[in-house]
Amino acid sequence: MSDLLGIGKTGLFTSKKSMETTGHNISNVNTEGYSRQRANQTTERSIVQSGLVKGTGSRIVSVGRIHDDFIEKRLNKELNNTEFLKERSGKLEQIESIFNEVDTEGLNTLLNKFFNSFKELSGQPENETMKMVVRDNAKIVIRDFQRIQNTLTNTRKSIDQNFKTKIADANSLINNIAHLNKEIVRIEQLGGESGDLRDGRDKSIRELSKIFEIHTYVDNRNNFAVAAKGVGTLVVAGEKTDLVAGPATKDIATNGIDGSFEIFYKDRPGFPITNRFQGGQITSLIKIRNEDIQNISEKINNLAYDFAKIVNSIHNKGYVSRKIETDPSGNPLPYDKIGKTTGINFFQEPIRGQNTIEHLSLSEEVLDDPTNICVGLTANASGDNRVALAISKIQHEKLLNGGTTTIEEEYLHTVSQLGLEAAKSNFDLEQAEGILAQTNNIRERISGVSLDEETANMMRYQHAYAASAKVMKVAEEMFETILSIKR
Amino acid sequence: MTRVSENSSSASLQFSINKAKKKMEDLQVKGTTLKKIIKPSDDPMANFQGLQAQSVNKDNSQFLRNIGYALSQLNTTESTLEQLAELLVKAKEIAIQQSSDFYGGNIRKNVSHEIIQVRNQALALANKRLGNRYIFAGYKTLDAPFDKDGNYKGDFGHIQLEVAKDFFIPINLHGNEVFFTDNNIKYPPHPLKEFDEFQPNKNEPITPDNKNEIKEQTPNPVRELASVTNETDSDPFITKNNIFSQLTSLITALESNNTIATQDLLEKIDDSISRIITMRTRLGSLVNTVLHTQLQIDTENVENQDFQSKLMDADVAELFSDITKQQHILQTAYQTGKGLMNKSLLNFLS
Repeated sequence: MSDLLGIGKTGLFTSKKSMETTGHNISNVNTEGYSRQRANQTTERSIVQSGLVKGTGSRIVSVGRIHDDFIEKRLNKELNNTEFLKERSGKLEQIESIFNEVDTEGLNTLLNKFFNSFKELSGQPENETMKMVVRDNAKIVIRDFQRIQNTLTNTRKSIDQNFKTKIADANSLINNIAHLNKEIVRIEQLGGESGDLRDGRDKSIRELSKIFEIHTYVDNRNNFAVAAKGVGTLVVAGEKTDLVAGPATKDIATNGIDGSFEIFYKDRPGFPITNRFQGGQITSLIKIRNEDIQNISEKINNLAYDFAKIVNSIHNKGYVSRKIETDPSGNPLPYDKIGKTTGINFFQEPIRGQNTIEHLSLSEEVLDDPTNICVGLTANASGDNRVALAISKIQHEKLLNGGTTTIEEEYLHTVSQLGLEAAKSNFDLEQAEGILAQTNNIRERISGVSLDEETANMMRYQHAYAASAKVMKVAEEMFETILSIKR
Repeated sequence: MTRVSENSSSASLQFSINKAKKKMEDLQVKGTTLKKIIKPSDDPMANFQGLQAQSVNKDNSQFLRNIGYALSQLNTTESTLEQLAELLVKAKEIAIQQSSDFYGGNIRKNVSHEIIQVRNQALALANKRLGNRYIFAGYKTLDAPFDKDGNYKGDFGHIQLEVAKDFFIPINLHGNEVFFTDNNIKYPPHPLKEFDEFQPNKNEPITPDNKNEIKEQTPNPVRELASVTNETDSDPFITKNNIFSQLTSLITALESNNTIATQDLLEKIDDSISRIITMRTRLGSLVNTVLHTQLQIDTENVENQDFQSKLMDADVAELFSDITKQQHILQTAYQTGKGLMNKSLLNFLS
């Protein structure tokens, strides 16, 4: 009879434990990264008594989480890809906005204005006021070149700062994983339930996957390890390797710019591992910084160089508009009291390379006195407009890249290329987000909590509990019956 | 059977609502700007072409301004030539009157005053200004081209303006070709000839088809550009027969009562008149060409605007039907969401 009470007790206990698990599931329905748990229940060991096998009730073997390693890895991969594209799209959009001129005046419009002011000057070559307009337009063009260059530089610098925060995030995640590794081992050795801790570790790994592509494995000593693809192991069991992002000197910087941020192992400064990461936000940022920005900056600088160079080479041939004295044989003198009368640069001689735009400015002569802007090819000829005509023709003349492209085409090509890149990454992102959502859904379907299901379970366990209690009650009544015989 | 969990259903609902909303937002921006392309990545190729079209439009409005300059200069030149021709005809009439022996010496002397006036008027016309610009001075537009003796101080420059893409038109006649009779009318060379930068294209300037006529009129340039100083060095007044010297000779002839000399001058004056008429004709055809170009640019502008608009502007009807469609999609997403989210087994147990 006491067996019966005992059986009833195990039933109560199992139902209560199952109900607890259900309650845990329900309360964690919105916990990020939570995998639903299930109490696995089995029959209690049976005993043989006087030749009969007797059941002794039920018990909970374990509380396990429902979880699919394969889906988890796939999810990490998709997250990694999506974050790469998200970062890329965002940054490209930022860069792209520099070149937006559909509703504002961008470089193309301003260059056009500059050249058209020379056309206007060719219509009224005697007009000194027009020369001031030309000079102002040139200043605006220079300023816009500088605006573009500065924004690019600022974007590059902000990416450097991004590096710093991303690496700090990565470090804290690495730290967290190492810590959880230790905890999980400790709890499991004591026979405890590690489901929630494992969920926590999975979540950290997912977060880390966003930053760069990682690879997780269990080594032969049963240690859980995390490695960054292309870089190396970051965590083994409780041991970790820290990363650090900081300014590098020109000779080791991956984009050749002094002071740009690179990533190192904390204990091995001087050996940047920036380029070895794969996927994720970090790689995306590196690609934007070292390829896209670099590329555009180079193109814009070259454009500025060619532009200034060609304008100068034509402007050089002209004569200033003031009265120029001639030598006895009638040739104009190249110098007079005021200064040069010909061979004047419009822009200061441009420097080729990354700093063209930084040093781009009007020549001192033109800056000092707009009458130094040369309009004519002959001296003492105020109506000669040939230099102005020639300069105005530069915009649409195929003078760049060995006579194959015009300044306008070159500029618009650069913008289009950027636009194409941005459009492509936007498209890819949309697709990747779709796949990610799908994968996430699959994970949620497997591991997520369904309230309906839990409600049903709850009822099931409640009934089982009530029934077990009833068994005990009946057992008690049976005792009563027996005891009442004596009366 | 696939399991559906709380988060998977809310996540897929969120995803679809988000997607619908993002499209809605996109359409919203297009609706407020009425532009199809907001940033280069919306359509890189159309952005490229659109901006090029924008430049062409701006260039064209500059060309129209240049056409304005060209027309005012050409028209002034033409009317000046007309007045000059009238003066010469007047001189010729007087010369014809006085070349017979019908009038006596005294009268000739008196009439010579009239010719002096004609000469002065011609000189004034030769130094005619448009704004601050002497129209017959070649490139030296700020200095009076003729002194009181009728000596030419200007140069041989032909100012050219670009009135349509790669189409240059000379807008002046210099004093030498107008007033000096033995100077053949020459056509100016391409204005970019002196610049090495433009060499590859120099030989074949792209002109619109209908300008072939003009192109034929301007064969290979013969005139040396840099020869300005050389030509002025060889004193034009001695070798060349100019309108002023003709008039001066006429004055002298009349004053000295020399009918033979007067008769001799008739032919020369006639030559001058016919030359000026030829030049007027040429100016007239230039004016026509310019006016034609103007019309052409106007048409091109309209076409260009249309092209640009097709590239960059949103199709309003399409846009708003898209917006309505998208609104429906969003509403449906909300409705189904309502159905999904509010239902739970718990609602039916109590």
